[in-house]
Amino acid sequence: MTKVSQAALQALQAALAAEHAAVYGYGVVGAMLSGADRAAARNDWRVHQDARDNLQAMITKFGATPVAASAAYRLPFAVQDARSARRLAATLEDGVTRAYLGIVAVPDPGLRTFGALAMQPPAKRAAAWRGTTVAFPGMPSR
Amino acid sequence: MLRRRQFLAASATTLPIFAAVSACRRPAVLDGPPPLSPDVRALFAAVAAEENLVSLYTRTMAAYSALGPTLAPLLAEHWAHLAQLRARIIEPPGKTVPDKVTSKPPIPDTTAAAVARLRTAEQAAVNAQLRRLAGASPSLAQLYASIAASEATHISALGPGAG
Repeated sequence: MTKVSQAALQALQAALAAEHAAVYGYGVVGAMLSGADRAAARNDWRVHQDARDNLQAMITKFGATPVAASAAYRLPFAVQDARSARRLAATLEDGVTRAYLGIVAVPDPGLRTFGALAMQPPAKRAAAWRGTTVAFPGMPSR
Repeated sequence: MLRRRQFLAASATTLPIFAAVSACRRPAVLDGPPPLSPDVRALFAAVAAEENLVSLYTRTMAAYSALGPTLAPLLAEHWAHLAQLRARIIEPPGKTVPDKVTSKPPIPDTTAAAVARLRTAEQAAVNAQLRRLAGASPSLAQLYASIAASEATHISALGPGAG
Protein backbone atom coordinates (compact mmCIF):
# COMPACT_ATOMS: atom_id res chain seq x y z
CA MET A 1 0.00 0.00 0.00
CA THR A 2 1.35 3.41 -0.96
CA LYS A 3 1.84 5.85 1.94
CA VAL A 4 0.88 9.50 1.83
CA SER A 5 0.72 12.16 4.51
CA GLN A 6 -2.43 12.96 6.44
CA ALA A 7 -2.49 16.39 4.82
CA ALA A 8 -2.38 14.82 1.37
CA LEU A 9 -5.23 12.48 2.25
CA GLN A 10 -7.32 15.38 3.56
CA ALA A 11 -6.71 17.32 0.34
CA LEU A 12 -7.72 14.30 -1.75
CA GLN A 13 -10.84 13.79 0.37
CA ALA A 14 -11.75 17.47 -0.10
CA ALA A 15 -11.40 17.08 -3.85
CA LEU A 16 -13.59 13.98 -3.72
CA ALA A 17 -16.22 15.86 -1.71
CA ALA A 18 -16.17 18.61 -4.35
CA GLU A 19 -16.63 16.03 -7.11
CA HIS A 20 -19.57 14.49 -5.23
CA ALA A 21 -21.14 17.95 -5.00
CA ALA A 22 -20.53 18.56 -8.71
CA VAL A 23 -22.15 15.25 -9.67
CA TYR A 24 -25.21 16.18 -7.62
CA GLY A 25 -25.25 19.78 -8.82
CA TYR A 26 -25.07 18.93 -12.51
CA GLY A 27 -28.28 16.98 -12.08
CA VAL A 28 -29.93 20.26 -11.15
CA VAL A 29 -28.12 22.15 -13.90
CA GLY A 30 -29.14 19.71 -16.61
CA ALA A 31 -32.78 19.80 -15.59
CA MET A 32 -32.91 23.55 -16.29
CA LEU A 33 -31.13 23.52 -19.65
CA SER A 34 -32.00 22.44 -23.17
CA GLY A 35 -30.27 21.85 -26.48
CA ALA A 36 -26.50 22.23 -26.66
CA ASP A 37 -26.27 23.51 -23.10
CA ARG A 38 -28.04 20.43 -21.80
CA ALA A 39 -25.73 18.18 -23.81
CA ALA A 40 -22.73 20.04 -22.40
CA ALA A 41 -24.09 19.66 -18.87
CA ARG A 42 -24.61 15.94 -19.41
CA ASN A 43 -21.06 15.59 -20.68
CA ASP A 44 -19.65 17.53 -17.73
CA TRP A 45 -21.73 15.41 -15.33
CA ARG A 46 -20.09 12.28 -16.76
CA VAL A 47 -16.63 13.85 -16.52
CA HIS A 48 -17.20 14.53 -12.84
CA GLN A 49 -18.39 10.96 -12.26
CA ASP A 50 -15.14 9.70 -13.80
CA ALA A 51 -13.08 12.12 -11.69
CA ARG A 52 -14.97 11.02 -8.57
CA ASP A 53 -14.26 7.35 -9.34
CA ASN A 54 -10.60 8.11 -9.94
CA LEU A 55 -10.26 9.93 -6.60
CA GLN A 56 -12.06 7.12 -4.77
CA ALA A 57 -9.59 4.64 -6.24
CA MET A 58 -6.61 6.81 -5.27
CA ILE A 59 -7.81 7.26 -1.69
CA THR A 60 -8.51 3.55 -1.34
CA LYS A 61 -5.06 2.76 -2.70
CA PHE A 62 -3.63 5.03 -0.01
CA GLY A 63 -5.38 2.93 2.66
CA ALA A 64 -8.19 5.31 3.60
CA THR A 65 -11.94 5.19 3.20
CA PRO A 66 -13.22 7.64 0.58
CA VAL A 67 -15.74 10.17 1.88
CA ALA A 68 -19.27 9.37 0.84
CA ALA A 69 -21.59 11.71 -1.00
CA SER A 70 -24.22 13.50 1.01
CA ALA A 71 -27.81 12.49 0.44
CA ALA A 72 -28.58 16.04 -0.66
CA TYR A 73 -26.79 19.35 -1.02
CA ARG A 74 -27.93 22.89 -0.29
CA LEU A 75 -27.65 24.93 -3.48
CA PRO A 76 -25.73 28.20 -3.09
CA PHE A 77 -28.61 30.12 -4.71
CA ALA A 78 -32.01 29.42 -6.24
CA VAL A 79 -31.80 27.74 -9.64
CA GLN A 80 -34.97 28.54 -11.53
CA ASP A 81 -33.95 29.09 -15.13
CA ALA A 82 -31.21 28.48 -17.69
CA ARG A 83 -29.22 31.54 -16.62
CA SER A 84 -29.02 30.51 -12.97
CA ALA A 85 -28.30 26.93 -14.06
CA ARG A 86 -25.28 28.09 -16.05
CA ARG A 87 -24.18 30.14 -13.05
CA LEU A 88 -24.50 27.07 -10.83
CA ALA A 89 -22.40 25.04 -13.28
CA ALA A 90 -19.67 27.69 -13.12
CA THR A 91 -19.89 27.72 -9.31
CA LEU A 92 -19.58 23.92 -9.16
CA GLU A 93 -16.53 24.02 -11.41
CA ASP A 94 -14.99 26.78 -9.29
CA GLY A 95 -15.44 24.59 -6.21
CA VAL A 96 -13.76 21.62 -7.87
CA THR A 97 -10.93 23.81 -9.16
CA ARG A 98 -10.36 25.18 -5.66
CA ALA A 99 -10.30 21.68 -4.18
CA TYR A 100 -7.69 20.43 -6.65
CA LEU A 101 -5.58 23.51 -5.94
CA GLY A 102 -5.55 22.33 -2.30
CA ILE A 103 -3.72 19.19 -3.42
CA VAL A 104 -0.99 21.36 -4.99
CA ALA A 105 0.00 22.54 -1.49
CA VAL A 106 1.11 19.07 -0.34
CA PRO A 107 4.85 18.32 -0.51
CA ASP A 108 4.59 15.15 -2.65
CA PRO A 109 5.71 16.20 -6.17
CA GLY A 110 3.53 13.61 -7.90
CA LEU A 111 0.39 14.73 -6.08
CA ARG A 112 1.27 18.38 -6.73
CA THR A 113 1.41 17.74 -10.45
CA PHE A 114 -1.78 15.68 -10.27
CA GLY A 115 -3.61 18.56 -8.53
CA ALA A 116 -2.25 21.16 -10.96
CA LEU A 117 -3.27 19.12 -14.00
CA ALA A 118 -6.64 18.13 -12.52
CA MET A 119 -7.64 21.76 -11.88
CA GLN A 120 -7.24 22.79 -15.52
CA PRO A 121 -10.32 21.09 -17.02
CA PRO A 122 -12.72 22.47 -14.35
CA ALA A 123 -11.15 25.92 -14.76
CA LYS A 124 -11.83 25.69 -18.50
CA ARG A 125 -15.40 24.51 -17.95
CA ALA A 126 -16.02 27.30 -15.43
CA ALA A 127 -14.80 29.82 -18.01
CA ALA A 128 -17.03 28.26 -20.66
CA TRP A 129 -20.14 28.38 -18.45
CA ARG A 130 -19.35 31.87 -17.18
CA GLY A 131 -18.34 33.23 -20.58
CA THR A 132 -15.17 34.83 -19.22
CA THR A 133 -11.79 33.71 -17.95
CA VAL A 134 -10.31 34.64 -14.56
CA ALA A 135 -6.72 35.45 -13.67
CA PHE A 136 -6.38 33.06 -10.73
CA PRO A 137 -8.60 29.97 -10.96
CA GLY A 138 -9.06 28.25 -7.62
CA MET A 139 -7.69 31.15 -5.59
CA PRO A 140 -9.83 33.29 -3.31
CA SER A 141 -11.14 36.37 -5.13
CA ARG A 142 -8.58 39.16 -5.13
CA MET B 1 49.77 28.74 42.41
CA LEU B 2 46.98 31.25 41.96
CA ARG B 3 44.28 31.34 44.53
CA ARG B 4 40.69 31.42 43.33
CA ARG B 5 40.31 35.16 44.06
CA GLN B 6 43.58 35.97 42.22
CA PHE B 7 42.48 33.84 39.27
CA LEU B 8 39.18 35.71 38.95
CA ALA B 9 40.99 39.05 39.15
CA ALA B 10 43.43 37.93 36.48
CA SER B 11 40.51 36.91 34.27
CA ALA B 12 38.92 40.31 34.69
CA THR B 13 42.07 42.05 33.45
CA THR B 14 43.16 39.65 30.74
CA LEU B 15 39.78 38.98 29.09
CA PRO B 16 39.45 42.50 27.60
CA ILE B 17 42.97 42.17 26.20
CA PHE B 18 42.08 38.82 24.67
CA ALA B 19 38.91 40.31 23.23
CA ALA B 20 40.80 43.28 21.81
CA VAL B 21 43.36 40.98 20.17
CA SER B 22 40.54 38.88 18.70
CA ALA B 23 38.88 42.00 17.35
CA CYS B 24 42.03 42.79 15.39
CA ARG B 25 41.41 39.78 13.16
CA ARG B 26 40.06 40.88 9.80
CA PRO B 27 36.46 40.05 9.04
CA ALA B 28 35.76 37.47 6.39
CA VAL B 29 35.61 39.03 2.95
CA LEU B 30 32.21 38.93 1.25
CA ASP B 31 32.67 38.24 -2.43
CA GLY B 32 29.22 39.56 -3.34
CA PRO B 33 25.65 38.47 -2.93
CA PRO B 34 25.12 34.76 -2.36
CA PRO B 35 24.02 32.71 -5.39
CA LEU B 36 20.27 32.55 -6.00
CA SER B 37 18.58 29.44 -4.71
CA PRO B 38 16.77 27.22 -7.26
CA ASP B 39 13.32 28.37 -6.10
CA VAL B 40 14.29 32.03 -6.50
CA ARG B 41 15.72 31.30 -9.96
CA ALA B 42 12.42 29.59 -10.84
CA LEU B 43 10.52 32.66 -9.66
CA PHE B 44 12.68 34.96 -11.79
CA ALA B 45 12.08 32.65 -14.76
CA ALA B 46 8.32 32.79 -14.15
CA VAL B 47 8.46 36.60 -14.09
CA ALA B 48 10.47 36.66 -17.33
CA ALA B 49 8.02 34.26 -18.99
CA GLU B 50 5.07 36.47 -18.06
CA GLU B 51 6.89 39.54 -19.35
CA ASN B 52 7.45 37.73 -22.65
CA LEU B 53 3.73 36.87 -22.86
CA VAL B 54 2.73 40.46 -22.10
CA SER B 55 5.09 41.63 -24.84
CA LEU B 56 3.73 39.09 -27.34
CA TYR B 57 0.10 40.02 -26.63
CA THR B 58 0.85 43.75 -26.78
CA ARG B 59 2.65 43.48 -30.11
CA THR B 60 -0.02 41.18 -31.55
CA MET B 61 -2.77 43.64 -30.57
CA ALA B 62 -0.78 46.47 -32.14
CA ALA B 63 -0.47 44.50 -35.38
CA TYR B 64 -4.09 43.25 -35.48
CA SER B 65 -6.42 45.75 -33.83
CA ALA B 66 -9.47 43.60 -34.66
CA LEU B 67 -8.18 41.07 -32.10
CA GLY B 68 -8.33 43.68 -29.35
CA PRO B 69 -11.69 42.66 -27.83
CA THR B 70 -10.55 39.02 -27.60
CA LEU B 71 -7.00 39.63 -26.45
CA ALA B 72 -7.40 42.58 -24.07
CA PRO B 73 -8.99 40.56 -21.21
CA LEU B 74 -6.34 37.86 -21.56
CA LEU B 75 -3.57 40.46 -21.55
CA ALA B 76 -5.06 42.00 -18.40
CA GLU B 77 -4.85 38.59 -16.72
CA HIS B 78 -1.20 38.26 -17.71
CA TRP B 79 -0.53 41.65 -16.15
CA ALA B 80 -2.23 40.34 -12.99
CA HIS B 81 -0.05 37.19 -13.07
CA LEU B 82 3.05 39.32 -13.47
CA ALA B 83 2.08 41.54 -10.53
CA GLN B 84 1.53 38.56 -8.25
CA LEU B 85 4.78 36.88 -9.26
CA ARG B 86 6.76 40.09 -8.83
CA ALA B 87 5.18 40.59 -5.41
CA ARG B 88 6.83 37.33 -4.29
CA ILE B 89 10.30 38.68 -5.01
CA ILE B 90 11.97 40.33 -2.03
CA GLU B 91 13.99 43.15 -3.54
CA PRO B 92 17.04 44.65 -1.83
CA PRO B 93 16.44 48.18 -0.51
CA GLY B 94 16.71 50.73 -3.29
CA LYS B 95 16.70 48.12 -6.03
CA THR B 96 13.87 46.84 -8.16
CA VAL B 97 13.78 43.83 -10.43
CA PRO B 98 14.04 45.30 -13.92
CA ASP B 99 11.45 44.65 -16.60
CA LYS B 100 13.17 42.43 -19.08
CA VAL B 101 11.66 40.85 -22.17
CA THR B 102 13.95 37.96 -23.07
CA SER B 103 12.11 36.72 -26.15
CA LYS B 104 10.67 38.83 -28.94
CA PRO B 105 9.58 36.58 -31.78
CA PRO B 106 8.20 38.26 -34.90
CA ILE B 107 4.43 38.60 -35.17
CA PRO B 108 3.12 36.27 -37.92
CA ASP B 109 1.77 37.68 -41.19
CA THR B 110 -1.85 36.57 -40.79
CA THR B 111 -4.39 36.92 -38.00
CA ALA B 112 -4.91 33.17 -37.79
CA ALA B 113 -1.18 32.53 -37.55
CA ALA B 114 -0.82 35.25 -34.91
CA VAL B 115 -3.55 33.64 -32.79
CA ALA B 116 -1.95 30.23 -33.27
CA ARG B 117 1.35 31.74 -32.11
CA LEU B 118 -0.36 32.97 -28.92
CA ARG B 119 -1.88 29.54 -28.32
CA THR B 120 1.54 27.93 -28.64
CA ALA B 121 3.04 30.47 -26.25
CA GLU B 122 0.27 29.87 -23.71
CA GLN B 123 0.78 26.10 -23.87
CA ALA B 124 4.52 26.52 -23.39
CA ALA B 125 3.80 28.74 -20.39
CA VAL B 126 1.48 26.12 -18.87
CA ASN B 127 4.15 23.44 -19.26
CA ALA B 128 6.81 25.68 -17.71
CA GLN B 129 4.61 26.47 -14.69
CA LEU B 130 4.10 22.74 -14.07
CA ARG B 131 7.86 22.16 -14.13
CA ARG B 132 8.29 24.79 -11.39
CA LEU B 133 5.98 23.03 -8.92
CA ALA B 134 8.36 20.51 -7.36
CA GLY B 135 10.83 22.87 -5.71
CA ALA B 136 8.41 25.62 -4.76
CA SER B 137 6.94 26.47 -1.37
CA PRO B 138 3.30 25.37 -1.00
CA SER B 139 1.90 28.86 -1.56
CA LEU B 140 4.15 29.58 -4.53
CA ALA B 141 3.32 26.16 -6.02
CA GLN B 142 -0.37 27.06 -5.76
CA LEU B 143 0.29 30.38 -7.49
CA TYR B 144 2.13 28.60 -10.35
CA ALA B 145 -0.69 26.04 -10.64
CA SER B 146 -3.38 28.73 -10.63
CA ILE B 147 -1.56 30.73 -13.30
CA ALA B 148 -1.12 27.54 -15.34
CA ALA B 149 -4.86 26.90 -15.11
CA SER B 150 -5.57 30.48 -16.19
CA GLU B 151 -3.24 30.10 -19.16
CA ALA B 152 -4.96 26.82 -20.03
CA THR B 153 -8.27 28.71 -20.19
CA HIS B 154 -6.59 31.22 -22.52
CA ILE B 155 -5.80 28.41 -24.95
CA SER B 156 -9.52 27.61 -25.08
CA ALA B 157 -10.40 31.30 -25.48
CA LEU B 158 -7.97 31.47 -28.40
CA GLY B 159 -9.64 28.50 -30.08
CA PRO B 160 -11.54 28.53 -33.37
CA GLY B 161 -13.41 31.79 -33.74
CA ALA B 162 -10.86 33.87 -31.85
CA GLY B 163 -9.09 34.97 -35.02
